[in-house]
This record gives sequence, C-alpha cells and structure tokens, in this order.
Amino acid sequence: MSDDLSSVYPNLAGNPLEGIEFPQEHETDCVVIGAGPNGLIAAMYLAAAGLDVVILERRYEIGGGLATEEILFPGHLVNTHATYHFMTDYMPALTDFDLGTRGLRFHKPNMQLRGRINGDDVLLCRSLEDSRDSMARGSIKDAVTFGDMALRFRKIVDGVLGPATYLPPGAPLDLMEALDRTPVGQDMLALSEQSAVEILQEYSLPDSTLATLLYAACQWGISPQESGMGFMVPLMVDRGMQKAYSYGGSHRLASSFARVILENGGLILDNAEVAAIEMDGSRAAGVRLADGRRIHARKAVLSSLDPQTTFLRLLPEDAAPKEIRSQAESWTWDKWSLMSVFFSVRGKPTLRNADGNLSGDTFETVLGFDDFDDVVAFLESVERGEIPKIAGHFTCESAFDKTLSQVAGNHTCFFQMPAPYDYPWDARRDEIVAEVTDLLDAHFDGFRASVVDAVLESPHEIERRLPNMVRGSIKHGDYNPVQMGNMRPNTDCSATRTAVPGLYVCGASTYPGGMVLGGPGYIGAHTVCEDLEHPFPREYTRGINTYLDTYFPDGLPVA
Amino acid sequence: MAATTEQVPVRSRGDGEVLPRRSSFDFVIVGGGPNGLTAAAYLAKWGFSVCVLEARPELGGGAENHEPSPGFSIDPHASYFYGAAAPALSQLELGRYGLRASTVTNFGGCASPDGRGFFGAGNFFHEGKARDPEVLAQIMGVSLDVSKVFVEFMSALEPHMTDFFRSIYWTPPYDEKWGLTRSDLPWAQVLREALPFFDEVMLEWSLCEMMNAMGLPDPFKTGLLVGSWGNGPHPFHKGMAIPGFAVQQLMFYSNCTPVGGMHALAHSIIRCGLAHGARMYVNAPVTEVLVEDGRAVGVRVDDETALEEKTIRANMGVILNTHVKQLPGLVSGSHLSQDFVQRVDDLSLKGGSLFVANMAVSELPQYTSAGRELHGADYPVGMLLHSTEDQMLDLMRDVYSLNTHPTDPDHYQLWLIVHSAHDATRAPDGYGVITMNLQVPPPEDHRDGPDAVNKASGEIMETIYDVIHQYAPNMTRDKFVKTWVNTPQDSEFRNMAFVGGHWWGMRGSEDEWFSRKPLPELARYRTPVESLYLCHQTSYPGGLCLLAVPYNLMHILQEDYEQISSTTPEWWYPSKWHITDAEGGTR
Ligand SMILES: Cc1cc2nc3c(=O)[nH]c(=O)nc-3n(C[C@H](O)[C@H](O)[C@H](O)COP(=O)(O)OP(=O)(O)OC[C@H]3O[C@@H](n4cnc5c(N)ncnc54)[C@H](O)[C@@H]3O)c2cc1C
Ligand SMILES: Cc1cc2nc3c(=O)[nH]c(=O)nc-3n(C[C@H](O)[C@H](O)[C@H](O)COP(=O)(O)OP(=O)(O)OC[C@H]3O[C@@H](n4cnc5c(N)ncnc54)[C@H](O)[C@@H]3O)c2cc1C
Repeated sequence: MSDDLSSVYPNLAGNPLEGIEFPQEHETDCVVIGAGPNGLIAAMYLAAAGLDVVILERRYEIGGGLATEEILFPGHLVNTHATYHFMTDYMPALTDFDLGTRGLRFHKPNMQLRGRINGDDVLLCRSLEDSRDSMARGSIKDAVTFGDMALRFRKIVDGVLGPATYLPPGAPLDLMEALDRTPVGQDMLALSEQSAVEILQEYSLPDSTLATLLYAACQWGISPQESGMGFMVPLMVDRGMQKAYSYGGSHRLASSFARVILENGGLILDNAEVAAIEMDGSRAAGVRLADGRRIHARKAVLSSLDPQTTFLRLLPEDAAPKEIRSQAESWTWDKWSLMSVFFSVRGKPTLRNADGNLSGDTFETVLGFDDFDDVVAFLESVERGEIPKIAGHFTCESAFDKTLSQVAGNHTCFFQMPAPYDYPWDARRDEIVAEVTDLLDAHFDGFRASVVDAVLESPHEIERRLPNMVRGSIKHGDYNPVQMGNMRPNTDCSATRTAVPGLYVCGASTYPGGMVLGGPGYIGAHTVCEDLEHPFPREYTRGINTYLDTYFPDGLPVA
Repeated sequence: MAATTEQVPVRSRGDGEVLPRRSSFDFVIVGGGPNGLTAAAYLAKWGFSVCVLEARPELGGGAENHEPSPGFSIDPHASYFYGAAAPALSQLELGRYGLRASTVTNFGGCASPDGRGFFGAGNFFHEGKARDPEVLAQIMGVSLDVSKVFVEFMSALEPHMTDFFRSIYWTPPYDEKWGLTRSDLPWAQVLREALPFFDEVMLEWSLCEMMNAMGLPDPFKTGLLVGSWGNGPHPFHKGMAIPGFAVQQLMFYSNCTPVGGMHALAHSIIRCGLAHGARMYVNAPVTEVLVEDGRAVGVRVDDETALEEKTIRANMGVILNTHVKQLPGLVSGSHLSQDFVQRVDDLSLKGGSLFVANMAVSELPQYTSAGRELHGADYPVGMLLHSTEDQMLDLMRDVYSLNTHPTDPDHYQLWLIVHSAHDATRAPDGYGVITMNLQVPPPEDHRDGPDAVNKASGEIMETIYDVIHQYAPNMTRDKFVKTWVNTPQDSEFRNMAFVGGHWWGMRGSEDEWFSRKPLPELARYRTPVESLYLCHQTSYPGGLCLLAVPYNLMHILQEDYEQISSTTPEWWYPSKWHITDAEGGTR
C-alpha cells in the first residue's frame, strides 16, 4: 500500500481524519446497545459465535455498572458502582471463556459480612464453619439453626435459582409444575409466597443475627414486608456469603469481556450514544448515534437499556405495539437507590473492638442499625423517600486490592446505603458526608483524622453517569412481584425477544433482573442465535443441564 | 515469524477456541502508553505475539481521561491531538477500531494584558484567511508587508506539509557516527525543495530568530514561542526553529481531537492490538529486564499482579515504553557501562513540567481582547493568556530558577483548552471544562522540596482564577464549579514514566535532538543491551501522542530481525528519508 495520506492530508477544509476515522455508515450483523455487563456478555457470545458485532457505549469507558474510576482524583480509584460479585459460581460467561488469561482474577474474602448491630458483631463467612463458630459465641443451638438455614438456602440457590438465572423464564404455571418435582423446588415455591420478614422470623436466632440477615436480603431493593418476593431471601443471603471481588476493580471484568469481543472480530465504540433504533419496515435494522452516524444491523439489534429508553425513546413511535409502549410507560423504577460516600484515607481503617475470632479484613460491614425492627423501619422509610438516619454498609476495597490506591500507604473505602432519589442531595451533601464520617469515626480508629478526600455520589449522580438507571435505579426497575420472572419487563419481552422483529432486550430490566448476574445478556445471545439458527458457541454449564434434566426433562416449554 | 514459540491463533473468530495460557511471547512491551501500545499494535498486526505489561490500573499512559464528577471529562495529561499526519492512523486502521474526530473550527488565539489579541487560528488556516494578506494583517495586527511574507512562506510550505511533518517526526534519526550535517537533515531536504527562498541559515535559527526575521509581532509571536516551548523545542535555542515551528503546525493542521478525548485515541490503538491477538495486562509493573548472554530475554513482573507468572519470556525482544531514566534501574548494572549510566543520570529534566488544572465551569470565558470579533460564532478552543515575550521570559526565568510558582501574577502565562466547546461528550449541557496548563519546575530539582508545588497549589489556583478573570470578566469565582489539580508530582506518582512530571520527556535542544536524542547510542531506539529497545517519549522525536516513536522503531526492527523484514505486510510503508545502517555506514 502506498502512502495514502498525502493526497488527502492536510485537509484544510475541515476534518483531517476524513477517510481515516470511523465511517458515517457501518454495517454489521448485530448491534448491542449499552456496554454494561449484560451488553458485553451478549456481544461476547455473539462474536464468539462468529457473528459480526458492534457494541455501542454512551460513556467514555465501557462497563456500565462495572466501573473502576479515579473519582478521588488524583491517585485513588474506587468501584463507583458494583463492587460485590454475587454470581461468580454460576455465571457461564466466566467459565466459557478463558478470562484469566485476559487479566481477570476473582478473590472471595472469607469474612463476607459483619453485622455490627447495637454493639454486637455478627460474622457471616464464606466458610459455613466460620459462620457457625461466630454464632456459637451466643449458643451452639444458634450455630446449628444458622447452619440449617444456610444449607437450606444453598440447596435452593444451587439447584434452582443459580441455573435458572441463565435460562429464559417460564410461565408461572409451567414453573410451578416443574418445581413441584423435588422437595427443594417445593420449598422454593413455598418461600416465594412469603415476605423476607416472615421467612427470617421463622428462625429462632438472636435479633442481631436476624437484623444482619434481613439487611443482606433486602439491601439491594427488596421491601422487607412485601410478600411474593421470598425467593430473593435465599438468593441474597446465600450469595451475600459468597461475594467475590474482582482484583484490579470491577472494570477488569468488563475489560476481560471486551478482550474476547475484540479477539473475535467484534467492534467496541465508546462515546457513542444511541439516539434512535432504525427500522426497515417493521423490522429493527440498526441504530443512529447522537452524532448522526448509522450502524446497520443485518440480523439483530439488542438493547440492554431500560424499557422506557428502548421502547419510548429509541424506537419510532409506530414501531412497537401500543401495548408494549403502555407497559413501558407504567414501568416502575427501583423503590430506592443507593447513596455512596467514597473516601481516600491514610492507613487502613481498623474496626474498633473487632471480633477476635478471625483474622483478615471483612468484605462488607453493616453499621448503624439497632435491631431487626430498626432495619425494617429504616428500609420502609427510605422507600417513602426519607433518610431516617445514617446506616448502611462499609467496605475498604483497597484492603483486597492494593491497585486502587496509587499513593503508598493510602486506602480507598466507601460507605453505602439505601437512599431515595427525591431528596435535596445538593443542599445536604456536606452535612451527609459529615454524618457518615461521624458514624465511621465511631467504629474505626482515628477515621476522621485519616480522611484525605471524600466524594458523595447520590442517586442523582448514578443517573447522571448511567441515564438508563433512571431515578438511580440500580436494577433498571423495581423488584416486585409484577416486575419479576416472566413479567420482567413484560410477558412479551421477558425471554429477550420483543414484539418488534429483529429487536431484543437483554439488560437488567429483563428477566432475571439487575445486579451483575450476566443472565439477561447470556439469554439474549442465546435467543438471537436460536432465531438466526446459528449455533451457540458454548454448551450449557453442568449446573444448568442438571436443572434442565431435573425440572424440564421434556425440554423448556415454548413460550 | 513467531518461530521460536508456539503458534498463537491471531484471531479465534468463530472457532470459539481459547488462546493458550502462556508466558512467552515474541515481544514483551513494558508500558502501555501511546508509544508502547502503538508498538504492540504494529507488531501484533505484523503477525507477532505481543504482551504489554502496564504498571498503572489502566492502559493509555499520558493519553488519559477521567470523569471525577458525572459528565465532566478531564484531561490529566494529553489534551490536544497533534498526530493527524501519523502513518499509524491508516496503517493500523484506527478508524476501524473506533477512532472518530471531533473537528475544531476555531483553534483559538492569544491575548496580552494591553488588550491586544489574536483569535481564530482555526478559521485562519482552514477558511483560507491565511492566504489573504489583507485579512491576515488585520487579524494579526501587522503591516501588509509582514503578512505578505507570512503568506508567501505558508503558501510555499502547504503543498509539502505532510512531507514537512513526516521528515521531522515520522522518520528514524540518523546515526551520529555517519557524520551527516545539518543540511542532510530530512527536513532540510524537504524545505530545500518546498521553499524558493530557502536559506541554510534557517536551519541554524532559533524559533525566536525566525519569528523576528519574518517580522511577526506579539501576541502571535509569543503564542508560537510558547507553543514550541510547551512542546519541547526550545524557542530561544539555536537550531530548533524548524522543529519548533513545525510542532505548532502539527497542532493547527491536526485540527481535531478524538471524540471523547485522547484516551479514545488510546482505545483505538488498544483495540487494534487486541483484535490482532496482543495480550495486555494492567497493574503489572515490571521490575527487571532479564538479560542472558547480553540479550534481553524477558522481564520480571511485580508479584502482586493478576498474572500467574512472575517471569514473562520474550523470544525476540523487549521494548521499553519507559522513561530513559528508568532504564538503568530495570537492567542490572553489569550490563550497562558506568559511563552510560552516568550520562543517563546527567540528562536534565528541566523545562516541561506542567501544573494542570481541570476546571468544571458553569460558563465559558468570554475574552475581551482585541480581535475577538474576528473569530465568529465558533468558540476558541485554545487561549494563551499573558502572551507577550517579556511575560514568557519572566515565566521561563521563574521556572529555570526553580521558584515554586511564578513570582508575579503577571508571569502566570496560562494555556487554556476547552474541548467541551466542540465535543458534546466532554461536559454536561450548560457546563464546560477548562483544562489549564502552567509551566513549573520539576519536583526533583525543586529547591523547596519535591512537594513544594503540591503544597502551594491552593495559592497557585487563586492567582489562576484571577488571571482568567482579568481576560474574561464574566469568570467570577462562582462560575468555577469544581477544580481538579494535577501537579508534576501527581503526574509522577500516577505514571512512573512521567519522571519530573515532564510533558514531553526531555529537553528539546539541538544537542539532545535527532541523532542525539536522548543520547547518541539510543537515538535509533537500540540500547546497550541487545534486543532491548527504548520506545518512549524520551526517544526521538519526543513527547506528544504522535504515534511516531513506534513507527520509527519499526524501521529499526526490520533491520534487526530477519523475521520482520522478510514478512513486510502490504499495509506498511516506510519513511521516505529512512537510511538503513548499511546505507548510512557507507556515506
Ligand atoms: C452504586 C451502585 C452499586 C451497585 N453495587 C452492586 C454490587 O455490589 N453488586 C452487583 O451485582 N450489582 C451492583 N449494582 C447494580 C449493577 O451495577 C447493575 O444492576 C448492572 O450493572 C446492570 O447491568 P446492565 O448491563 O444491565 O446495565 P448497565 O450496567 O446499567 O449498563 C448499561 C450501559 O448502557 C449505557 N447506555 C445508556 N444509555 C445509552 C445509549 N443511549 N446508547 C448507548 N449506551 C447507553 C450506559 O452508559 C451503560 O454503560 C450497583 C449499582 C450501583 C449504581
Ligand atoms: C500535563 C501534560 C500535558 C500533555 N499534553 C499533551 C497534549 O495536549 N497532546 C499530546 O499529544 N501530548 C501531551 N502530553 C504528552 C503525552 O502525554 C506524552 O508525550 C505521551 O503520553 C508519551 O507517551 P509514551 O507512550 O512515550 O509514555 P507514557 O504515556 O508515559 O506511557 C508510559 C507507560 O509506561 C508505564 N510504565 C512505566 N514504567 C513501567 C514499568 N516498570 N512497568 C510497567 N509499566 C511501566 C507507565 O505507567 C505508562 O503508562 C502531555 C503530557 C503531560 C504530562
């Protein structure tokens, strides 16, 4: 090839990169909108399947909720959004690709959750034995009760909820019939009817233990007294004791997915906000970016965004059936969001009078609650839009990841709590930082004096960073009985297909839901391959196959 | 190709195969800055297995962007794109990997305290104003005679602009031992052809002498001098007029930044490399280059990384994207002569350390200087405040005499950059981000200790706000929503390769330029250790994300490795001025 530049360069009329930069029009097989965990996972499988994929991200970095950024500039990084990885034991995306050679390494701290309730320390560990030992300080009976509960929850998660996360949802009747086949399935059905409070109160455990468990079960957005959401209790309690940390920050997970996408010929565009989904007749046939560029999709468009953005803003008005639009209009956002205060501090924060049983650092420490009822009352008033007091959870991330602080001896940590969107955040910012600092100072030796910098990120900031988390909805939409299962985001679209040919939904607002589960993205890629009659590049995991054999020996019922 | 190692499938597209876990590559690249990444992309696309080991939590080196507050994109380091003439853009097809240009319509200008101003460099070059002496005379506030000289000069040069740029930046330096002279320099060859009035004396000039010869007045003249100082070539030192003038033109003619900022440029290079099978690891600081029988054969990585192996073998070579001053620390003493180590140590860090402030603002500065009406509707992206030669000399004296900050508010010669004016991704609606650069002494040399500037940063900011207000009365304190400061010391601890927090790595003086940059034996990117190369902004042609060092390096690697020269891909084209060792040796 000859020196092709000299003929066009310098282009005095305007753009010197004309002919070199990414073109105004581009054609591909599949377009994925949004490069959060779900979009990336969908794109990764589609690229590995041999399809041409373009994934589009509005921000300057991919990752969505998988963000590790230097917001305590200069020199201190934090995971601005997801820190705890609940599903590393089940997520097929982690084992289907050799992500370790792409730089991914998970670490599962043993001391997972410390509930410091009214002066009492409750320690929930990755090792059940260690949790039992901690309970045994109260009584051996507590230890046994706790162990039985944990094993009961584990069976449900291992046998049902874990694998079902990666399969399209069934109709409630089909699902009930299937689960009825085993005692574990029956147990899970029974639990589902109840509320978190009801489930936990059945256990005769010390109040501080129940309070800790309730917080673990509900902190990500479950109403403690709402029935019909009971299956979240075994899930969040079990997974809450099996959280993993992504070394180098959660963004590493996103970059390892990105590496697989690129190695398989996929294209990633960041700073590329999708402004519209474009139609070819009744079919979704591509997208238009905010800068006017067009990406044509020969085969599929996958949106990982919330239903209002996808169906009301991006799709032309006449493209989707009225019903889908009205369902999107009545979509309800998360009942609360999160407020985080990120700190850079000199020295590692040390918990005052920490439980002496175990050495090491606790992953998540719950602070500020008095008892079980207080947790209930707190969450309910947050749901009503109040901040009754400062209470929530704390993590010193740099204790597990020294790469987060580039200043020798300094650490980064955060305090996070359920919080309402409608709140005078800007006016109360400084006060809240001070109150949080007070709380931490009361529990960690010399905390206040060690603070180098503090940044509060309110639900408003969450929405500003990720506008698809409308009203700070970390799960792109509320968890309640009519927005879960095959009703997420509605009965037509929960299996990732939509009423619009060529358009799929695969983000946190689609079954099974939010958090870094990787379910929607995986199922989305599966469905697209199925519809294109294109082989899916990987087999189901063993756990998924066992689940299918046990509950759906005749195959999943067709929706 | 890749002869000594297991074959890596470059792309596993569609076959679903997983790349083998391995710890041996053809090339190991230490550092993932723009120069290291580009070297990786070149080699990977050429067909070699490559591993990049980056100490920082992110790839990109100085090509960084951050969003400390939602929606506000800041530039801790590189801010402007100067590299539109880089062969790498098309050779690596960076557009294919997402590179998009946000075109600048008004590059900006300069203003001095007496109200004189020069505005609209963008229009000036890009709407043909530069070719109309009458308009130019008005814009620059000069006589018609002066503007005619400038127009004549630019009109003669413009058709040769690409060659002019590439002959300086995108060509490997000649070996000093060949005994070539100034008039053999590649750019001398180009100018001789381009300029009917070319005179050898131009090669001897300092930039200031050149500006004086053309009769160019302030603030335009100082704008160019500062631009040169800020980019390496010393504006008052002999022999640097042409590189100093050229570096300015690089900026004007590049006329855009990547959409989203300079990190987006890094993204496109990274993605090109990854798509061609390169492996890239972050948080992987290299502590030692392994040398066997005088050859670099691999590196040792700090054990706290995500890599399972601590030793990464390089079958063909190791490429250092690190500061030349890191070299002695990475290679154990016995492989480097005392004399070499001493001369590396002696290299000066002076004159390139920047105090950077990124300011989120609720309004953009509305400058009052003369000439403003000429810039039209487009907001000027860059603006030099205090643009007189005296102020520049005062600031230079302050910097070289190691004062913590300029000794008088009048010496605060500020360079303001506002990318949010032309790139919607850089700030929320209704807001802007101003990136401000001010030269200060390097921490190492500072007479008041390495943290002197950090300690004074509050005070320094106060004066900066005042100076901005002086030129833009609308910029009262309440317009500054939030400020993030990045001092040279901050640059250093955030990026080991920014020794001195120096934004172009090393002085740009004739005795440290071209065949002598950074030292004569390193000029052609080789080091005293066989198969160990230096590919960093401390190599020729120096700082800026020009993607030039690795392009130049590829010429040398072709000479050194038969596997590379025998597999030259069709997309590669060499510099027109390249002289091989074999050719050079016979001159
Ligand atoms: C403060 C906070 C803490 C959290 N902590 C945890 C935790 O510890 N563990 C956990 O599992 N989960 C956690 N979550 C939740 C988790 O981050 C999300 O549920 C998850 O990221 C959802 O993944 P997703 O891929 O569906 O969507 P997202 O991660 O939201 O990604 C969507 C992407 O689409 C992009 N986008 C938006 N609009 C457009 C457009 N028009 N065009 C192109 N791109 C667009 C966004 O920028 C974003 O990158 C937390 C969330 C928050 C906010
Ligand atoms: C304040 C400032 C403003 C600037 N403005 C501009 C501008 O507007 N435009 C422009 O083009 N340029 C600008 N520059 C210059 C530009 O950033 C540099 O020239 C460019 O980044 C040099 O690239 P590099 O790859 O040679 O080195 P670097 O970008 O420094 O990259 C070197 C990499 O090597 C890594 N490293 C070092 N040691 C090790 C080790 N032992 N192991 C592993 N990794 C290691 C470092 O962490 C770093 O990432 C600016 C620089 C500064 C400081």
